[in-house]
Amino acid sequence: MQHESMVHALDEIRRTLKPNGMLIDLRPVEANWSVEIVSSAGWQAAGRLSDLPVALADDEAAFQAMREVESNGWYIKKQEQEFAFFYYWDTPSEMKEFMDEEWADFEKLEDHVYQKTKSMWALANADARVRVRVNMLITLWDKRWS
Amino acid sequence: MAKAQKDPEGFEQRLLHKLVDFKDKHVLEVGCGEGRLTFKYGAAAKRVIGFDPDHDALRIARVDAPLDMQKHVHFANASASNIPFSKETFDIAILAWSL
Repeated sequence: MQHESMVHALDEIRRTLKPNGMLIDLRPVEANWSVEIVSSAGWQAAGRLSDLPVALADDEAAFQAMREVESNGWYIKKQEQEFAFFYYWDTPSEMKEFMDEEWADFEKLEDHVYQKTKSMWALANADARVRVRVNMLITLWDKRWS
Repeated sequence: MAKAQKDPEGFEQRLLHKLVDFKDKHVLEVGCGEGRLTFKYGAAAKRVIGFDPDHDALRIARVDAPLDMQKHVHFANASASNIPFSKETFDIAILAWSL
């Protein structure tokens, strides 16, 4: 979605909100999501995914749109908090298959990161799984009375 | 198709319910997709409309909707560029990775 379309969408949402309505925005806050091996013994980082340019552009456009509607006085930031969101797979190959199918347009699993993930997973406890950590931001916005 | 287990710890759901009271609220979810997030708060809300431009995702959302949500959680095909509801309808709007 282009920046102008994002701002228009936020205006449409504002139109449908009651005067004391609230907008909840959930989005990743950090680029290059972390690949980790996790087991009953703990977790270890194996590397990071590479963001494709379209992903970076979309994220920046979305943040810019939120800044614009805030400065327009359409919404007032009420609260925000970061949290971790994890995707889990039983094996590195399942992770790679998922990424190839679902994330190919915006994230890239570099071969050296995949190889390291496989090595670490193979050496880890029998209950080891693979996960991707996404640091998220939840922001609550109050609709501003016009 | 490869599947991922998403947020099995429930961090997102717990935080959402800690920060927001959905009781008796009319909720609009923009870009609901297959309803992954919708089903984490839908039971607490009075009425939920999730919309998305992806017909296939909406079909899955309708099939996957838990029984206790089927009467008050609805899914519609629409785009955020023209939200097909009159003004001042909803108490809460949610954008989840969808702007």
